[in-house]
Amino acid sequence: MIDSLRHRPLLPMLLLFGLMLLALLMMSDATQHSERFNELYFWLLVFSAGGLVLLTVLIGVGLYQLMHRYRQHEPGSRLSLRLMVLFVALALVPVGVVYHFSLQFLQRGIDSWFDVRIEDALNDALELGRSALDLRMREALKQTQRIAEDLRQPNRTGVAMQLDEMLTYTEATELTLFGQNGRIIATASLDPLRIVPHQPPDIVFLQVRQGHDYLSLDPIHNVGFHIRVMVPVPSVGSADETRMLQALFPVPSRLGELADSVQSAFDSYRELKFLRNPLKTSFILTLSLVLLFGVLAAFWAALYAAQRLVAPIRELAEGTRAVAAGDYDRQLPLTSNDELGFLVHSFNQMTRNLAHARLAEQRSQQLLKRQRTYLQAVLARLSSGVLTFDHSGCLRTYNIAAEQILHTRLGKRVGRSSDDHPPNHSPSQHIQRFFEALKPWLQHPEDWRQEVTLFAGTGRLVLMCRGSSLPDPDRLRGGHVVVFDDITALVQAQRDAAWAEVARRLAHEIKNPLTPIQLATERIRHKYLKQMEPEQARVLDRGTQTIIQQVQSMKEIVNDFNNYARPTRLNMTPIAVNRFISELLYPYRSNRHGIRVVFAADTADPTLMADASRLRQLLHNLIQNSLEALSETGGQLTVCTRVCSDQGQEHLQVQICDDGPGFPDGRIGNMFEPYVTTKPKGTGLGLAIVRKIVDEHGGLIDLANPPEGGAQVTIRLPLNSPSCATTEENKA
Amino acid sequence: MHGCVNVANWPLLPLWLLGMLLLTQPVWAANFQILHAETQLHEGVYLVNADMHFELSADSREALDNSVPLTVQLTFQVRRQRDWLWDQVIASVQQRYQLQYHSLAQQYVVTNLNSHQRHSFPTYAAAMEYIGRLRGFPLLDQTLLDADTRYQVRLRAELDIHSLPAPLRPLAYVSRAWRLRSHWYSWML
Repeated sequence: MIDSLRHRPLLPMLLLFGLMLLALLMMSDATQHSERFNELYFWLLVFSAGGLVLLTVLIGVGLYQLMHRYRQHEPGSRLSLRLMVLFVALALVPVGVVYHFSLQFLQRGIDSWFDVRIEDALNDALELGRSALDLRMREALKQTQRIAEDLRQPNRTGVAMQLDEMLTYTEATELTLFGQNGRIIATASLDPLRIVPHQPPDIVFLQVRQGHDYLSLDPIHNVGFHIRVMVPVPSVGSADETRMLQALFPVPSRLGELADSVQSAFDSYRELKFLRNPLKTSFILTLSLVLLFGVLAAFWAALYAAQRLVAPIRELAEGTRAVAAGDYDRQLPLTSNDELGFLVHSFNQMTRNLAHARLAEQRSQQLLKRQRTYLQAVLARLSSGVLTFDHSGCLRTYNIAAEQILHTRLGKRVGRSSDDHPPNHSPSQHIQRFFEALKPWLQHPEDWRQEVTLFAGTGRLVLMCRGSSLPDPDRLRGGHVVVFDDITALVQAQRDAAWAEVARRLAHEIKNPLTPIQLATERIRHKYLKQMEPEQARVLDRGTQTIIQQVQSMKEIVNDFNNYARPTRLNMTPIAVNRFISELLYPYRSNRHGIRVVFAADTADPTLMADASRLRQLLHNLIQNSLEALSETGGQLTVCTRVCSDQGQEHLQVQICDDGPGFPDGRIGNMFEPYVTTKPKGTGLGLAIVRKIVDEHGGLIDLANPPEGGAQVTIRLPLNSPSCATTEENKA
Repeated sequence: MHGCVNVANWPLLPLWLLGMLLLTQPVWAANFQILHAETQLHEGVYLVNADMHFELSADSREALDNSVPLTVQLTFQVRRQRDWLWDQVIASVQQRYQLQYHSLAQQYVVTNLNSHQRHSFPTYAAAMEYIGRLRGFPLLDQTLLDADTRYQVRLRAELDIHSLPAPLRPLAYVSRAWRLRSHWYSWML
């Protein structure tokens, strides 16, 4: 568009304007001078009309293009249109006014040439001239008639001589006698050079031949006005042909001059009067052509000037639009040194600055990206899980280790708080529990540490979480960072190590003296029992027997501790859980306390990878605990199995419930610790061993007193999880 | 003055001009006709005798009656006929008559613009008849022609609008009423 404007054919248009102006000048000249450009007038008119049509077409095309751009909302088109309308209005109004007044002046100017009084005066002068000549003409007629009368009788000297003679006593300058058919019979003239007489028109012959006289005033070339009289010459006999006499009488020179002058003035005035309207038409035609040319030229010039003026603005607008669209390399051509040129220069400077700024920003973004990538790489290689939360508790970032430790994908939780679940997504319970456990700590202004225990689909998770507030200088970001580690194995190892130490000490400190005590007691019994009185012997027997039994009992306790503390090598085999539990419960169904034993098996009949003997010991311990709790009151013992699924990870849930007195209040938290017991004869190792076995299998155990009463033990063991074997190998 | 057009009342001047230019054609033989023409060889000179009929249009007649001089132009062309090429014009002769009404004498004056001879006629018809009857008009010498070549003579009569007064000419250029012209009348020499 800009190029087309730049290459708009200004020169051809100026040439066209020049040619049309020249044609109009020539036309104007041709209407005023009869000689010059006469032949060309028609073609000048055609050329001018063609030029005007061409100009109209060009303007039409230009206007159409402008309107098209206007409808397309092209930048600058609205201003172009407005400028063009303004220019045209500015040009049309004065031109219209000038045209109107020119027409008025033209009409009135031409009309002012004519005056009724002048016309009357000229008519009167003509009439006067005629009257003056009329007298003379009548005299001439009389003279001619007399001559004709004289010619009636032929003279002896002949007609020619007779005519010559007559010239002398009449005022006629030429006498000619014609025959019937217009043949010249004789002629006489005062002009010696004139041989052929002035021939009258045929119609005159006709008139005279019919017996009428003919009288006229003839303007004769180089001679002036003459009175032409033609009369019939009366014939002598009826056999004679009719002859006709023509006489030419001169008009006196002064009278002739005056008549000529009146005639000339009258004819000129009459011609001028007749030509008044054609003259007006001619002038108006030329004026209108000039006006039309001027208006069309102004129209075209307005169109051209408007587009030329708006071109830099349009370029600027297009450039601005390009910059807005992200094209910072746009440079506009500097075409002028005026204010618009200054604007273009400023625009170019601005785009250059923007381009530099964008380059710098790109560099800094690349740097930031590299740093971010580096940081992500570092975070990804951290074994600790890292989570960051914003000030409203929504998850912002996480690393791969976090997903690995939590066994879940965290992408859908980004930007959401613990209460806000992603749509169409059921969060795994352990993740939900984890975020809920973290929630109160996220508002903590100080650094904090907290251990969180979860049961994931793959087993129990003990997480050591450390949190810290992020700096928020501008109150824009801030939030909290939480770093957590999976310390499940570490806790287990510490606990194992502690109890291994206890067992070692028990073995060393208690078990070693027990054998000498037992041996010494048996030796005393063996040596002195037979020698003593029956009464004393009975006392000794009871005493030594008591010692031996108690020592034996202590040995068993020490063995229990050994069993608890000793690292176990699990023999993992697939176990059909329902059948296994059903067989295990069988001996308990016929108990002496009348306790009802119920087994609610899952229909899925799950298979669990576990050590059968350890699992059996676990269930025995729990069932015996329940039976002991129900031994006095009786009731029902319920064992139920259920396969649960948590985020694609299946686990087996085993619940053992009774309707006994339940666990003592406030002691559920440490019921799994060794030496904790509520029974008078308990060693405090039953539930500890149960917990140990569950831990060995990567499971989780919960104790609870349900609202409806009794006690409830819930065990969750992972199904088809490889972690069990791994755990055991680590322990081994 | 019904022959005049008031341009000021025409808002669509360009269209009017274009229309007039397209529609304007000579008024053919209806007004100017050549009835007969022939050539006679007299003393080595070819003389033309022609009978023509001239009838002015109403506009031109009105102008004549208002003392506007009109010029009638006779154009003679002698053409050498060629077998394979177009005919060659070897001589072109014009005879012009000026017709004017004389108010004082109340005569129609015909002036032969070649010889400047004037003839007065009491009526318009007599003047037109005079112009329409051409006798013994010398065309060219026989010596200028080749004996074994065929020659054709053409004659055309027209009203010379270039000789009209300047104000009338624009109208005459675009108006049918002013474009009076006969067909070419041809005969062999």
